[in-house]
Amino acid sequence: MLDPVQILAIVVSALLLLLVLELVRRRLLGEEYAMVWILGAVGLLALSVWRGALDTVARWLGVLYGPALLLLLLGFFVFIALLFFSVVVSRQRVQIDRLIEDIAILEARLRDHGEDEHGSRSVTE
Amino acid sequence: MKTIAVIPARNEAANLRMVVDGIRELYPSLDILVVDDASTDGTSDLLPDLGVRWLSLAQRIGVGGAIRAGLRYARGLGFEVALRLDGDGQHLPEHLDRLLRPIESGDADAVVGSRFKTPSGYHAPLGRRIVHRALAVCLSQLTQQPVTDPTSGFWAFGPRSLQVLGDHYPKGYSEPELLLFMCRNNLTVVEVPVEMRQRHAGRSSLTLLRASLALARTALAMIVVPLRTTVVRKRHA
Repeated sequence: MLDPVQILAIVVSALLLLLVLELVRRRLLGEEYAMVWILGAVGLLALSVWRGALDTVARWLGVLYGPALLLLLLGFFVFIALLFFSVVVSRQRVQIDRLIEDIAILEARLRDHGEDEHGSRSVTE
Repeated sequence: MKTIAVIPARNEAANLRMVVDGIRELYPSLDILVVDDASTDGTSDLLPDLGVRWLSLAQRIGVGGAIRAGLRYARGLGFEVALRLDGDGQHLPEHLDRLLRPIESGDADAVVGSRFKTPSGYHAPLGRRIVHRALAVCLSQLTQQPVTDPTSGFWAFGPRSLQVLGDHYPKGYSEPELLLFMCRNNLTVVEVPVEMRQRHAGRSSLTLLRASLALARTALAMIVVPLRTTVVRKRHA
């Protein structure tokens, strides 16, 4: 028999999973970045459905109070997610810088080209 | 060797004409490239009247990115040597010859002008002197060569450096990281003594916060740059 807290945990986890899928469907969240959230939501759902799992793992690790392990796992997950997104942001920063440089170089080359053309026209005129 | 002077500039409208005129006076035929790092003080309006080549960056990407863009553009135009001077008038054009000599003789891939190699009239606040000294000691140890002015922005890059730095010039206020990068990639850096002035007008973009961040970044670079894979193959004798 499921108790109210477990039902709430299952419903919230399922909603979170559906929210991620819906964001991907609407193309508001890219597939490559959705994976980390899908993994998190599935993990949460698994722990909600299989309630004994948390206590079993906690006992195995020597953690006396099961929910403390949940907090620890949550902390790890947030840390990994933030690190993952920092990598993404860093990569995009490099790409943006490169594009800014490329635009400036292309503009200068166009200017050089225009000056060359103008110069050669003046000579022939 | 086909040479160009690259001047990164951020809000240097008050200094740029003096810097360009100073170079022109001594080296009338030297190509000059100004890289405007999204200035907000009208620097970009000034550029067409200076008679120089210029790049206008649409967004601010920092002095390192500005130099990288400049070197890449210079490389594309077939330049073999790039001189890098600040846009604030600190670097004296009369020393450009000293920077070029080791490159032309083939003794260096890059040359850096040092204020502290021999006693000069340059005076910095005590705090900055202490940081300079500490950085110099650390970088000398890490690069296994004497480094006396780790934050000097007065450089000359030879053909090998120009090829590599057009893609890999470090970001931000990056001179110490640049020294580490050059050493890691077996590019020879030689220091020559120079004198520098204080900035002519305006304020440096290096605020206390930026200086602290740059220092933290340098500390990290000291750990990771020597461990990175090289981008230049070792030169064979």
